[in-house]
Amino acid sequence: MTTRTEGDSRATAPHPATETRSERARLDLGRAWDRWGITACLVVLVVVGALLDHSFLSLANVQSVLTESAYLGIVAAAMTVAIINGTFDLSVGGQLALVSVLSLLGYGIGGTWLAVAAAVLGGLACGGVNGALVTWLRVPPFVATLGMLFVFRGIAYLLTSDAPATLDYSEIDSGYARLGSTLIGSVPLPFIVMCVFFGAVYLFLRRTAAGRRVVAFGSSPEAARFSGVSATRVRFLVFGLLGLAVGIAVLTYITRIWTADGGTQDGFELRVITAAVLGGASLRGGKGSLVGTFSAVLLVTVLNNLLVAHGVSAGAQQMVLGGVLIVALSIDGVRSKYAARLRALFARRRAVPQPG
Amino acid sequence: MSTLQKTAPPATPPQAGPPRRTRSQALRGTLSALPLLPPLALVVVAFALFAPNFMTGTNLENVLVASSIVVVPGLAMTLCITMGEFDLSIGATVALTGAVTCTYIRDGHSTAVALVAGLVVGLLVGIGNGLVVAKLGVTPFIATLASMVIVRGLARVYTDSRDVIVSDSTLKYLAAGRPLGIPFPVLLAILATLAAMYVAYRTRFGRWVAAVGSNRDAADLSGLPVDRVRIAVYALIGLAGAVWGIIISAQLQKGSGNLGLGFELDAIAVVVIGGTSLLGGRASIIGTVLGALLIGVIHNGLNLLDVPPAYQRISIGLLLVAALAVQAIRRRVPLEVLDDNKN
Repeated sequence: MTTRTEGDSRATAPHPATETRSERARLDLGRAWDRWGITACLVVLVVVGALLDHSFLSLANVQSVLTESAYLGIVAAAMTVAIINGTFDLSVGGQLALVSVLSLLGYGIGGTWLAVAAAVLGGLACGGVNGALVTWLRVPPFVATLGMLFVFRGIAYLLTSDAPATLDYSEIDSGYARLGSTLIGSVPLPFIVMCVFFGAVYLFLRRTAAGRRVVAFGSSPEAARFSGVSATRVRFLVFGLLGLAVGIAVLTYITRIWTADGGTQDGFELRVITAAVLGGASLRGGKGSLVGTFSAVLLVTVLNNLLVAHGVSAGAQQMVLGGVLIVALSIDGVRSKYAARLRALFARRRAVPQPG
Repeated sequence: MSTLQKTAPPATPPQAGPPRRTRSQALRGTLSALPLLPPLALVVVAFALFAPNFMTGTNLENVLVASSIVVVPGLAMTLCITMGEFDLSIGATVALTGAVTCTYIRDGHSTAVALVAGLVVGLLVGIGNGLVVAKLGVTPFIATLASMVIVRGLARVYTDSRDVIVSDSTLKYLAAGRPLGIPFPVLLAILATLAAMYVAYRTRFGRWVAAVGSNRDAADLSGLPVDRVRIAVYALIGLAGAVWGIIISAQLQKGSGNLGLGFELDAIAVVVIGGTSLLGGRASIIGTVLGALLIGVIHNGLNLLDVPPAYQRISIGLLLVAALAVQAIRRRVPLEVLDDNKN
């Protein structure tokens, strides 16, 4: 389920004829770390959590972690696609707030179906606006989505200027409210939705021409353009997918939280990008792993769960999350910054034992 | 004689450009701010007609003070964007430095010590950003996005999520004093603008910043100390954030971990609206000042018209996006160039 492009594998693979066993071991270790490192970290964290706290592995807490990870994971899967494509979206927090409000308002007007439709269409509309800004109006994605973060949050504030949008307690048995609370077996429905979404995104990237174009554009925009890939369409697709993901994520989020306004999920974009980057996506584009993102989402949620359970203050939680992101990015940054030098070093070493 | 000395670029080899390159850069930077005058005039006229009390002396002074507070961080951000990079952590720096200064004063230290403490903390945050970006090779806006959260968290932990209320005459003077009859923030903004114009257009450092922004690899290959230039710019932003934090705290007479939420958007918006290209290499100092004025006027006018704050954020966000769209369409930028995360 890992998505890697030719450019990346060429960067790490040594020349087959000249590699020695120890080098191969070292590089395989590097690749294994790339692919499974974050999952290993997750396992370690879970073990530590279980040792620290006996209720950590209780069914209720595991269910709560899985449910909590759903909305983060769904958006993080789409963000991974965006980062593979060489772009990203800072407005997902604003989208989540706005679409949550729209969905709740939709429920108030027309019940479950309208709420679902409002979420999905609202998400797609947000994504479409971002896509239009980035492609037709040529606004750089970073600033376009930063600006739209404030616009989306602002609109959500306006819609809830009297009071936050809420779901009344009497609606607890409605189909809408059950979306967030249903258990299938003992697995929460939101987690299943997240798994299905990851699977769908994986198939999209691997098995569809459009998905391959998204990846190809990310590894080399110029090459992709010369082979006839339309930058406009690819970017529209990516931002549309992000919007759709937010729409689906809202259905797993707001049906549990029941209330939203413009300030909902402040800093969400950072958690999403953290998950994608921890999962191995490189902000230089062309590289990212859905398996990694999946593990990273669980890692972030477990970490949050542990911090909350041990009464760490909100400010300190922020610091931990930011620190984790900086460390993950630094590893990626240092590796790319010094990759050329390392490769040259290996090449020289290989050359030495074979004179003539 | 003196003109000759000024026009000969000392550090660049002769083939790097015609001799009067620095002057033309200053001119181009200033010219790119011209398109800002019609919208500014339009907004002023509109508010003069429709907003009650907009054209009174006190209100115009308020506008001037409010705009000039954004000028100092805006100028630092101009250098950063000229370098083709961003700093998102400046809003959090505002909170942390304001909180540090106010806490020092509350705990009985002298005001001078408190101010220095605030400035030093800002400088340290900036240097930290610079080191992570330049030495660890992390993409600037993600690195500063992370440091935004870390610094914000630090500010909240430091203040224990409570307001630090102070009453200090020197601090009051920084917010509302009038040396030479000019409000202190305005005087500071004027001095900072002159300094920034000198640095950006007349010094080696300014040319280095522009060179790193136009083509970092080329700058690196021609032997410029690219890492040091980048660290210095982030340090400057940290310092500017501290100035901003101190003045805002002085105005409010309190420090708080929640101060400066969303300020990074304001700082970036004034630069981008002012016409400094996001692609780097071209600074428009006057543009940033006019951009700050434009946003200050809009904020003030909307306040007078009792427009809720949510609309103000929306309008600034839209203005930012619109300014960029105009910029990009005018220069016919191909889509691939816009991947700012390639650097």
